[in-house]
Formats: sequence, structure tokens, C-alpha cells
Amino acid sequence: MDEPELIRAAQQGDQRAFEQLVRLYDQSVLRLATNLLRSPEDANDVYQEAFLRVYKNLHTFRFDCSFHTWLYRIVSNLCLDALRKRKVRREESSVVETNEGVLDRMDTVEEPRADSDPARCLESKRVRQKIQEVLGGLTPRERAVFEMRHYQGMRLRTIGELMGTSEEAAKNCLFRATQKMRAALGDFV
Amino acid sequence: MTCDEARKNLPLFLYGELSFDEEELVEAHVDECAECRRALEREKAMFAALDAVEMVPGPEALAESRAELRRRLALAKAPLNASNLAAAGLWDKIREGFTIHFHFAPGIAQVAGAAVMLVLGFLTARVAPNSMLNWRSSGMIAPETSRVRYVEPVSPGRVEIVLDETRQRVLSGSVDDEAIQRLLLTAAKDPSDAGLRVESVDLLKGNSQSAEIRKALVYALQHDPNAGVRLKALDGLKQFADDPDTRQALTQVLLRDNNPGVRTQVIDLLVQRHTDAMVGVLQELLEKEDNGYIRMRCQKALQEMNASSEMY
Repeated sequence: MDEPELIRAAQQGDQRAFEQLVRLYDQSVLRLATNLLRSPEDANDVYQEAFLRVYKNLHTFRFDCSFHTWLYRIVSNLCLDALRKRKVRREESSVVETNEGVLDRMDTVEEPRADSDPARCLESKRVRQKIQEVLGGLTPRERAVFEMRHYQGMRLRTIGELMGTSEEAAKNCLFRATQKMRAALGDFV
Repeated sequence: MTCDEARKNLPLFLYGELSFDEEELVEAHVDECAECRRALEREKAMFAALDAVEMVPGPEALAESRAELRRRLALAKAPLNASNLAAAGLWDKIREGFTIHFHFAPGIAQVAGAAVMLVLGFLTARVAPNSMLNWRSSGMIAPETSRVRYVEPVSPGRVEIVLDETRQRVLSGSVDDEAIQRLLLTAAKDPSDAGLRVESVDLLKGNSQSAEIRKALVYALQHDPNAGVRLKALDGLKQFADDPDTRQALTQVLLRDNNPGVRTQVIDLLVQRHTDAMVGVLQELLEKEDNGYIRMRCQKALQEMNASSEMY
């Protein structure tokens, strides 16, 4: 079945079709949420809530836009909500104290291997920390646009559509995000 | 194009987000300006550094998320099937204040014996102020409780406040009714209220002939953090101690549960039937068990099976 057929079957209650639909997109949804929220738990929460919303509202989907756009609109709204709430609660650290010592929850997430040379390894760690800092300092919108453009490879036109704004506004957000990144990483790269 | 303009446009140039004309201008400028060529190289280096911090969730994380979603979907669709409200939405109807009625033949209700009343809390509609605090959806009953989820300034002097609201609704029906059972199954997994889980499991255990309920009891026995809930679940599973799947779950509980009361009941059940597989389990248990009664039951069962008390 192609995607529109899957959607129609799922709308009629075909559970297997719904699962297939989820599997078409869920990897990239989890990846977007993990990158954006930098917390595996929060990313899983967004994943669950997004697909439950899709499940509950699929009967309202009328093919006015692509399913991808519809789904990512839900996901980006949930991520923005999570980022805003976090901003209110203040930024959470991924490092937690456990009975077995200090643990970085992001260690459960795969990262590309750094260089085996210790000096370069240290340098690369410092750059990574700096980037994390800057990402934490971006506004939720800047962060979302940056994430979707840089890591998900989405076009600004699509990002604007997902976030309910214009391509121009998305471009300005991306511009501000990269300016902040450049200003902060000046000495490192 | 000036150097300033070119440098401002470098990120968008690398993202391929400039118009054809703008891209031409940047390329032409960079070709002629050594400073801006170096700036472009630095920009590329920054992009490479950014690429290196990409977080890719591992396959286990994806598998766990999928498994959790499957469980939550099973719960989400349960009331739909049970109350014939179909895809168009129990959820929406609940949110709009729709009242659900369960009709049962009086005889069935009497046979069922117990009637249960469930008080359900759920999220309802979002509200926002117009000129005053008005409900966005007309005809809504005012919520009993609400919590501010977040506030967002929308224009100077105005704010949008998003509330989570909880209302209560009473449903009543026979414990044998499928719709009631599904709600009980949901309540049996409510992580925030051990008392609710105990009550729900207690009501469900009378219907453990149902494969779905048995599965939920096994899950509660293996995973519930509250020993009271686990004991209730165990009660419901006693008559299935010979069923291979249940027996396997009981074996795991015997070896892993940290509550001696639970382990005591499990060993009493398991040793009623002597199987070859039990020998290894009992020997493994003896290695680490410090409860005198359980050790005694283990040793006795091993003797009866002519097996040694030690592992080889």
C-alpha cells in the first residue's frame, strides 16, 4: 500500500495500516525530538503524544496538506511546548546523580565517534559542550528552526508551513540562530 | 555585494536557501575576496562541528518507544471498541461533555454481582480569554480543577494562558462488561495511584479467564512497584499455575521479586507441580535466598525430585 492508501485504511480503523504509517515516520520523529530536546525521556514523551494525537485525529485528516506536514506540525508544536515549559522550569541538565555515581542521560544516545587522539578528543569535547550551551541559549523557535534545517534537512518553506509562519520568518530565525552560533564558537572553529 | 552582506549570507548560502541571484552574488564576491573565502571556510568548519553533535537515538530507544506506543494505543482504542463510539471519537465526545450510558440487562447485572463506579479524570478543552475569561467552547461545564500549563504574551498588555483541566464523570456497570473491564485495565496501570491499582486488580482478578486480563495480571505481578498490587495479581493467577506462560512468569517473579511475601506465595504455587525445569530454578534460588521458609520449601521440593540442593 502506498501512503495515501495506508492513511485511508488507518482512517477506517485498520490497525496494521496505522502501525505501518507510524513506522514510515517514527524514526525521524524520535530523532527530531531527541536532537531538539536533548533528553531521551522528553523525546519519548513527544513521540508518544504525537502519535496518540495522530491516532485520535486521523479521521479529521482531509489530505489538504501532506501527511508529513500534518505530522510534523504536531511534533514541532509539542517540541515547542516542551521547550517553553522547560524554559519556565529552567533548563534541565542531562547529568543526573545516581546511586552508581554521576550519569549523563545523553550517554544512552548514539553520537558519532570522536577522534582517538586524546588532545583532539578533548578539543572536540569542548566544542561539543560549547555548542550545547549555545543551543540551550537559543529561543524555542530559533532552536526548532535550526534543528529542522540543519539536522533534518528540511527546506525553510516547509519549516515555515509547519510552524505556521512565513518562509521569511523561518529564514530570520535560522539567521539569528547561526549568528549566535558563530559568535559563540568564534574561538573554537 | 559588500563583505558584510556576503558574510551575513554565508550560512544561508551553505544551506542552499538563497535565491538564484543572491547565490550568484555571494559566489562572485567570494571568488574575488580572500577574507570572505576564509570566512566561508570557517563557516564550513562550524557546520562540520555542528554535524558532529547530532544525536541519533539508538535502536533500543526506538524499540522502547514503539512498544510503549503499542501499549498506549491498545488502551486508547479500548473504549472505542467497547462503547461502539467508533472512530469519530469517544475522546472528542468526552471533551465536549458527552455523557456515556451503559445499558445492562438487570439479570446480567445481578449475576455479575458487583457494580463498580469509576471516577475518571481527564484533560478537557483548552481555554483562553477574550474580553474576559470565557470558555472557548460554548456549552462547556466549568471544570472542577485546572492547572496553568503555560502563559504566553500575545501582544502588549494581553496574554494567552493554556490550562489543563480535569473534570470528573461517573460511569457504572457490571464488572463483566467489556467496557468496564477496559477502564479497569487502564486504572490497573495508573502509575500515580497504588490504591487505585490494588482495587482495579482486585476487581479484574475474578475475570482472569480472559486472556487479556490474565496478561494484565502477569504484567502487574512482574512490574508493579507495589507489593499489594502484585499479591492481588498473583491471587488472580493461582488457578493458571499450570499454564506454561504463567508458570514462566511466576518463575521469574520467584527469582527476582524483592518481597518475601510474594516469593513465599509463588513458591507454594510452583512446588505443587514437579517439573524438570523447576530443578534449576530452585537450585538458583537457594544460592541467593535468605528467607528461611522459602529455603525450606525449596530444599523439600528438591528432595522430593531427587535433586541436589547445589548448582553444578
